[in-house]
Amino acid sequence: MDTFGLKIIASDKVFYEGRCRKLIIPAPDGEKGILPNHENMVIALAVGIARMEAEEGKWQDVALGQGFAEVVNNRVTLIVDTAERPEDIDIRHAQEQRERAEEQLRQKQSIQEYYHTQASLARAMNRLKLAQDKKWNL
Amino acid sequence: MANIREIQSRINSVRDTMKITNAMYMISSSKMTQAKKKLADTEPYFYALQGEISRILRHIPELEHRYFDRREKVPAQDRKIGSIVVTADKGLAGAYNHNVVKLEEEILGKQGNHKLFIVGELGRHYFAKRGVDIDTHFQYTVQKPTMHRARDIASVLLEQFRSGELDEIYIVYTRMVNAVQSEAEVLRLLPLERSSFNELKMPLNMYREAIDLYPSAEAVMDSIVPNYVTGMIYGCLVEAYASEHNARMMSMKSATDSAQELIHDLSVIYNRARQAAITQEITEVCSGARAQQK
Repeated sequence: MDTFGLKIIASDKVFYEGRCRKLIIPAPDGEKGILPNHENMVIALAVGIARMEAEEGKWQDVALGQGFAEVVNNRVTLIVDTAERPEDIDIRHAQEQRERAEEQLRQKQSIQEYYHTQASLARAMNRLKLAQDKKWNL
Repeated sequence: MANIREIQSRINSVRDTMKITNAMYMISSSKMTQAKKKLADTEPYFYALQGEISRILRHIPELEHRYFDRREKVPAQDRKIGSIVVTADKGLAGAYNHNVVKLEEEILGKQGNHKLFIVGELGRHYFAKRGVDIDTHFQYTVQKPTMHRARDIASVLLEQFRSGELDEIYIVYTRMVNAVQSEAEVLRLLPLERSSFNELKMPLNMYREAIDLYPSAEAVMDSIVPNYVTGMIYGCLVEAYASEHNARMMSMKSATDSAQELIHDLSVIYNRARQAAITQEITEVCSGARAQQK
């Protein structure tokens, strides 16, 4: 099977660089799959979970933050705020983050603060989702 | 010639000060290595973002977006200009703070309504004393810059830009030119400048691959630009942090050096004074003995 070059750049490191066979990314209106020789495209990403198949039959989950993906000449670049493997996620920390965000949402806030906490809640939930899925799979 | 005891106490006090400056030198140098590492880690992200905006603009030059809106209808005297000023929390860093403040004064000298967003205690005090309009809710420290803080700062500014409370946003910070040299600099964050991305001119007859923007150009730019601004602010904060510690390191090094020189000079004087005192004592003893012989 054909492969394509994949590079995932997070704000604090280059998360992944190498070949990939299939990639599923979270777009604002649902998931989007990318196969080799995809049409050139720039796709906005929502906070969510991406799945990539680097080796045959081995799917890997990645929790992504805000960002976008770019597909040009069979090369895919994901530029995101944060990218984490399930094993790197600290469940306790994510839980605390979620509780904090929920608490703040209950209080009266300006609209800007509201968006802010909403975004941080989304990030926390996303982390928890990935980390917890992993736990059940064991 | 000064009193021996006076010189002695002076030497001791210089030595104590030297201990402090030396400690500050070492703290700053370790903090600077951390900051440099952070900067190197975030560079690929930052350049990729920049490259991406330029690529999109190259393929869709007619793209209209609110972050590119220069609001030329607003006359110069009514323009609301916001500037983020990154200074240190403390002094003792040579001309570091002074350079940043001087650059900001230049911006304040221009026409328009100015509003300052100050990161760093020292700048806050300085501009509060001068009576400039400062956003008082904007209380961020410069210590240990994080992506989280950059995101907070960016969201405040983007919100004000979108709602029309600000027409232009600048950031004044200090950039590391190389390992020994740094320079205060003004950077325009918003509105985005087309020309700063469009450096690469494509020949007309070359094939341009079409790029689809999904779900829409609007949505893609909406997700790229805030990230770009956040990344920019983060980069500036880290650069400023590294330069601050670089400046402090250098000034503390020169302070330690001159303290050493001072101690050397003082100990020469001290030895001379001690010798003079001994010589005088011997002379006194000798003349006393000679007087008794007679």
